[in-house]
Amino acid sequence: MQIKKILLLGILCACVIFTSAQNRLSNISGQIKSISGEPVVGATIKIHKTNYGTITDHNGSFKLLDIPFGNYTLQVSAIGFKSQKKEINVTDGQPTVFSFNLEESSEQMETLNVIGRTANQQVNRQAFNVTSIDAKKLHNSTLDISHALDRVSGVRVREAGGLGSRMDFSLNGFTGRQVKFFIDGVPMDNFGSSFQINNIPINLAQRVEVYKGVVPVWLGSDALGGAINIVTDNTMKSYVDASYSYGSFNTHKTAINAGYTALSGFKVQINAFQNYSDNDYKVTTDVAAFNGTYFRNQVVRRFNDTYHNETLIASAGVVNKKFADQLMFGLTVGQNYSEIQTGARMISVFGDWHRKGSILMPTVKYAKKDLFTKGLDLRVNGNFNFGTEQNIDTVYRRYNWFQDYKEYPGAGSERERSMYKFRNNNGLATTNLSYTVDEHHSLSLNNVFNSFNRRGSDELYPDAEKYEQPRINNKNVLGLGYKYSASEKWNTSVFVKQFYQSNKYSQSYNPSGNWGDVAYLTQRNSYSKTGYGIASTYFIVPNLQVKGSYEKSYRLPETDELFGDLLNLEGNIDLKPEHSSNYNLGFSYQAQLNKIHRFSFDGNVMYRDAKDFIRPSLNNNQTKQVMGNVANVTNLGFESEVRYSFKQLFTAGVNVTYQNLRNNTRIEQGQTMQSPLFRDRIPNMPYLFGNADASLFFNNIGKKGNTLTLGYNVLYVHAYYLSWPSQGTSDTKYDIPRQWMQDVNAVYTLGGGRYNIGLECKNLLDNRIYDNFSLQKPGRAFYAKVRYFFSNNR
Amino acid sequence: MKTRFILPFLSLSLITIFSGCDKELDSSEVVDVDIELTGATKFVISATPIGTSGIADYLLTANSLESGMITTQGNGIEQDGSYRYYLTHKNRFFSLLYGQGNPGAVTSYRLDGAGKLSKLTNFQSETVHLFAPVKDDVFTIKVPRSGNEFATMFRIDARKYQIVGEQQVNIVKLAGNGERAHFTWATQVGEKLFAPYMSIKGAAPDVFGTSYPDSSWVAVYSYPDLKLEKIIRDNRTSYIGAYFVNGLVEVDNGDAYAFSFAAATNAGIPTSKNPSAVIRINKGTTEFDKSYFFNVQEISGGYHMAGQTYLGKGIFILQMYPQPNSLTGSARKFAIVDVISKSFKWVTGLPADITRTTTINNYAPKDGKTGYIGITTASEGSYVYVFDADIAVAKKGLKVEGGTITAINALQY
Repeated sequence: MQIKKILLLGILCACVIFTSAQNRLSNISGQIKSISGEPVVGATIKIHKTNYGTITDHNGSFKLLDIPFGNYTLQVSAIGFKSQKKEINVTDGQPTVFSFNLEESSEQMETLNVIGRTANQQVNRQAFNVTSIDAKKLHNSTLDISHALDRVSGVRVREAGGLGSRMDFSLNGFTGRQVKFFIDGVPMDNFGSSFQINNIPINLAQRVEVYKGVVPVWLGSDALGGAINIVTDNTMKSYVDASYSYGSFNTHKTAINAGYTALSGFKVQINAFQNYSDNDYKVTTDVAAFNGTYFRNQVVRRFNDTYHNETLIASAGVVNKKFADQLMFGLTVGQNYSEIQTGARMISVFGDWHRKGSILMPTVKYAKKDLFTKGLDLRVNGNFNFGTEQNIDTVYRRYNWFQDYKEYPGAGSERERSMYKFRNNNGLATTNLSYTVDEHHSLSLNNVFNSFNRRGSDELYPDAEKYEQPRINNKNVLGLGYKYSASEKWNTSVFVKQFYQSNKYSQSYNPSGNWGDVAYLTQRNSYSKTGYGIASTYFIVPNLQVKGSYEKSYRLPETDELFGDLLNLEGNIDLKPEHSSNYNLGFSYQAQLNKIHRFSFDGNVMYRDAKDFIRPSLNNNQTKQVMGNVANVTNLGFESEVRYSFKQLFTAGVNVTYQNLRNNTRIEQGQTMQSPLFRDRIPNMPYLFGNADASLFFNNIGKKGNTLTLGYNVLYVHAYYLSWPSQGTSDTKYDIPRQWMQDVNAVYTLGGGRYNIGLECKNLLDNRIYDNFSLQKPGRAFYAKVRYFFSNNR
Repeated sequence: MKTRFILPFLSLSLITIFSGCDKELDSSEVVDVDIELTGATKFVISATPIGTSGIADYLLTANSLESGMITTQGNGIEQDGSYRYYLTHKNRFFSLLYGQGNPGAVTSYRLDGAGKLSKLTNFQSETVHLFAPVKDDVFTIKVPRSGNEFATMFRIDARKYQIVGEQQVNIVKLAGNGERAHFTWATQVGEKLFAPYMSIKGAAPDVFGTSYPDSSWVAVYSYPDLKLEKIIRDNRTSYIGAYFVNGLVEVDNGDAYAFSFAAATNAGIPTSKNPSAVIRINKGTTEFDKSYFFNVQEISGGYHMAGQTYLGKGIFILQMYPQPNSLTGSARKFAIVDVISKSFKWVTGLPADITRTTTINNYAPKDGKTGYIGITTASEGSYVYVFDADIAVAKKGLKVEGGTITAINALQY
């Protein structure tokens, strides 16, 4: 472990030394923009007849260091743009600064325009199986991040209810903690409930990247089945994006994103957002009288489902200084309040139970390009979350859906009496060092350290606090990646990831049998695992890309899986990490006809072979659940997307995902004979679903420059069984019925994009839709959004 | 120009709209009328496939438990989840929910004239920790293991399918020793309700631990008004029954026999100094009979009991932990006892690699001789084993393919 680290550092250092030391040198820098003023990300800058070259960063900026004096030809090229050349003379004195304004090249640019993902082309052109959502295109909608992700093939977001409700994210059949979330490359694992993808408005993001199965090394985490990275970096020097929406179920959402960079390099950024909803939508359910008899299929309103959250992310610091390209200090402050309407079934109804959460997280971010030497970039992030989570169930009542209740005397509860409050004391440090040797070779080293120390107490049971012992968990993920770009046409990345986790846990027990006598038994364990992968892509022709990738991935057990929750979950210190072999093979192709009709096709085949899934089962005396490595699952699936557009007037697309998730557990724990469920389809998991969308654009409506967009979106999810498909008589089986969810929207944009008015209708047909068995989601709902957007890159 | 594209756009939406409408909900009601019985019996076997997530129970029916084969593969009435318990009372079959604190639906079934199991109705009930036929009711108790100090008793009328009585019991007060009285089961004895309980700390992390491992308690309630009349205590063995396991049975002559597994723990370690034994409450009394003590642990060579099935005439099948002086292991042993004469015989003919047995939901025709217990083995799957108490031999009966047997019940039609 230690030796490996030293070795890696050594290699990096060696690379650094070879490229330094020459005299009479100067620097070249500059910025590449499109004609319309947008920075061009990922443009290639080459000096003819030399090995000097680089690519532009997210600001469109570039820097070439230590260029010997002389006359050169500088060539700038970028996908979707016409190449440009410029004669330059490098002499002593001031570094040479250039600016290029690239003209869009008609053939390619227009083709790419079809897709509606132009800003994300660099991401999508990676060798990884990645889908990037251009969040900016959705900024006039009322979506949060999770609903935007729901439109990506391979992704299903299953919600238990309305705004802010419990959400299960699945990516190619991997769920829960098997998929990891990041914001600007920083893991979101323990941000708490106040800052999660079900409450982050889409306006916070510039784009959202979905890595399927194979995760690049700079996203350091033990992601078994993929990762989501939310990119918020706004590269504009000053900007304001303020929006407010109001809609059905008394839903209010506000989002304000603003930033300012002074000439001195001082930078300040504010992201603030708020969501509120009564979530009092109508549901159809059986309503129980207090004697237990049901009134069948009553239409009633939800009544204990208010959700609200308020979050502020503020940061200030300096940019473009000698010692740092970026040094920002920030603070994330937020809270949320969530009432709990139902249990796992709609007939379990609650009227007072609720949860609260908060986040208080200082952050620091440091970035420096060309540290010590050209091509060596360093990024460091750190944060610590002091936030809390609390579960409050203290009202001794039994409610029904008519909102009648029966109250009992004494200290009871609706489900389990609790005011338990805990703090995870989660700290995180990420370090990313990347080194571009030349235009063909680059290396990156990434380390993520995560510490966790849960402390909790319940004011209702002050005595129990002494039984509460720290559960300490330290996790470190170290990754090394190497990328070989043979040519514009072909590049390959290989990487290794070293996972290390140590856990310490003290279990209290009563040694003498006398009340209040407590002793502790300390348990420790640790894991060390090595994962690895490869991703490669080849452009057969510029419009036809093939890509393949593989990763051997791991997920380490979480603290409660190892140690239990003391009450209903028993610990299992012998748990092994979950692991999976993930394979992707995909292609993408763009075509056009007479520059009028444009098409794009994307297709991916994937295979997942996952083992040792950690799942709960009953312990020996059936009083508690215990986690075990008990399930193996394979998934051979495909996803494809087709898009079409006609001039700049109409665009439509369809994506389809099929995943054949099969139980690969031949012999169940404790058995010696083959399981009757072997190779059966995994139940309670959507396996066929898709999205379709269409938009019509009307230019110069009302006034020249104003545009009206009409949009339509439909989600289809095929019905699936709650339990194993092979078991039971089919007409008695419980299923989650097929979903048709249709949304329409209209956006009117004035003032060149500065003022926007959006109207949306969700679930147009007022269908009863379910993601989880019996838990009905909202019916038809209307929302209106106004948004002001201004940006300036002076 | 533009209309050319609005039309396909609209027609596409319309097509989707037509195909995307919801179906009507079924709201038909079922009426439960008694039909003339033919005298035939059908057995209802509940089975759960062995596995982890997405597991549900299936109700299978069979004409005989002695032989044949039934399967859950493409067969059986699916139940919502596998944390379910089953009971027959007044010739109706009830599928009860262990709701982990949540209220949930109980489903009732009957056999139709052709002997087919058909659903009658759903009604709402709370999480059950014990259930017993008592007079005309299905009697249940929800017992919180921590936090809330109140257990709730419910009387559910077995033909009206609704709650007809409810009673709150402060289980901390009932225990009276600083711990909580956690009811293990309830049994109708004479005209009263006898509810044995275990004393538990009810505080994390040692929720089921106790500082009182050497006592037995039975709370006596009047019925149907559920007034606490008395707590019967004894100090010769440990608590009666176990979590979700019945340990009190009224035999043919009206005496009640109480089975203690001597399984009390503290911090996960067994701490009872008393042996696993049977004690007795004589008919009409509310006292343990001090003159009666059947030390099963001693007579068996050190084995603790783990469950009992009453066969009639004072004869029981006992399930025993696999090792002497141990309270772990799933490969149970079986014995036949006559509690009246205190005789004990090991049962032969059982497999060695037993992984699961049915404990509370066995079937016996109460002839003093025959019992049916569901047994799952690692190598052969599940069978209903037919026990002959006269010769203390068990043999394979009905094979249940696809899962563990969780309950065996019988209905007439």
